[in-house]
Amino acid sequence: MASRLLASRAASYFKISVPFRSFSSVVKDLKYADSHEWAKVEGNSATIGITDHAQDHLGDVVYVELPEVGVPVKQGASFGAVESVKATSDINSPVSGKVIEVNEELNSSPGLVNGSPYEKGWIIKVEMKDKCELNSLMDSDQYYKFCEEEDSKH
Amino acid sequence: MRVPRNLEVWKMGTVSYLDALKLQEKLVSDRKANKISDTLLSLQHLPTYTLGKRRTDHNLLIPESALKYIGAELHYTQRGGDITFHGPRQAILYPIISLRDIGLGARNYVEKLELTMIRLASLYGVKANAGQKGETGVWVREKKIGAIGVRISSGITSHGLAFNIDPNLEYFKHIVPCGIADKEVTSLRREVDLVLPDDEVIHEQLISCFVRLFGFSNVISKENPPILLDDAKRE
Repeated sequence: MASRLLASRAASYFKISVPFRSFSSVVKDLKYADSHEWAKVEGNSATIGITDHAQDHLGDVVYVELPEVGVPVKQGASFGAVESVKATSDINSPVSGKVIEVNEELNSSPGLVNGSPYEKGWIIKVEMKDKCELNSLMDSDQYYKFCEEEDSKH
Repeated sequence: MRVPRNLEVWKMGTVSYLDALKLQEKLVSDRKANKISDTLLSLQHLPTYTLGKRRTDHNLLIPESALKYIGAELHYTQRGGDITFHGPRQAILYPIISLRDIGLGARNYVEKLELTMIRLASLYGVKANAGQKGETGVWVREKKIGAIGVRISSGITSHGLAFNIDPNLEYFKHIVPCGIADKEVTSLRREVDLVLPDDEVIHEQLISCFVRLFGFSNVISKENPPILLDDAKRE
């Protein structure tokens, strides 16, 4: 009990909300898509990755298929894929725009997606086409509830 | 209260790999658009080697040009997993289902596919198990009896599992199966003493194990459905 209290205090200090029922973490101040990708908005660009919930449900990532820099991405459409447990899963972009940077580190260390889904495991950076698209994404509280509902389906 | 879940099962006999691939692409698109229910394809292929998204063709041990002499094709696909072989007497299931509707992720889905084959093997008294970490598939002691390679696109699955009833295992000698060296393959035929029933019966049992594991309550069967759907017939 005491360590849980300590953990949740540490979590709020770092702006991470850790639900007690599951082990997946949700980071405040990020936007979330219902296909379990997150977007961190900085000015006109957004860094994109997959959430802790997503990486947990995928299993150990052994390969990440990255797009080329310069290609367009569309909100809700696939821009790459991850492979885990003999399954390739498409990753969809939460926003439309142009890819301005990809995380090359994932070529040699795909496991960063599992170990650090919100930080070192970022996947691409996008120059956004239309910031209004962010309004159709979820905030951290909505995403947390969404995950709970999804997980209760089975 | 559980919502009744529908599954349409297509029993297709022997189908060319390319035809099955095209059919799956169409079904995935239809499933995404909610035009069809979850669907399961049950079939066998002619001798075919397939590669996954990572294109690990260094695991094909004979030159591509020599494949025709052993009567086999080679196809590159978008599924996960390494190189594998499909052929007659190997039971294949390609589920086209919505994982989001049942709240499953890739890992749980693949575990259930493994369990489907483990349960089938147990019907014949064969004790099979899922692989160690990084060795997805179904094993009898150290030999592989069932393989898995899946694609998930917007939460809809395609490709699936392949279970060795009694395929010609010689074909596996030309590859490093699933990229795991020093591991052999086996089949149901090799693991049991009794005479096996017809493949059709085993396919039925495999489908049954799948249906039960995935909790489908309503199953509709389609025998020998047309492999290519005529677009003109759709409204």
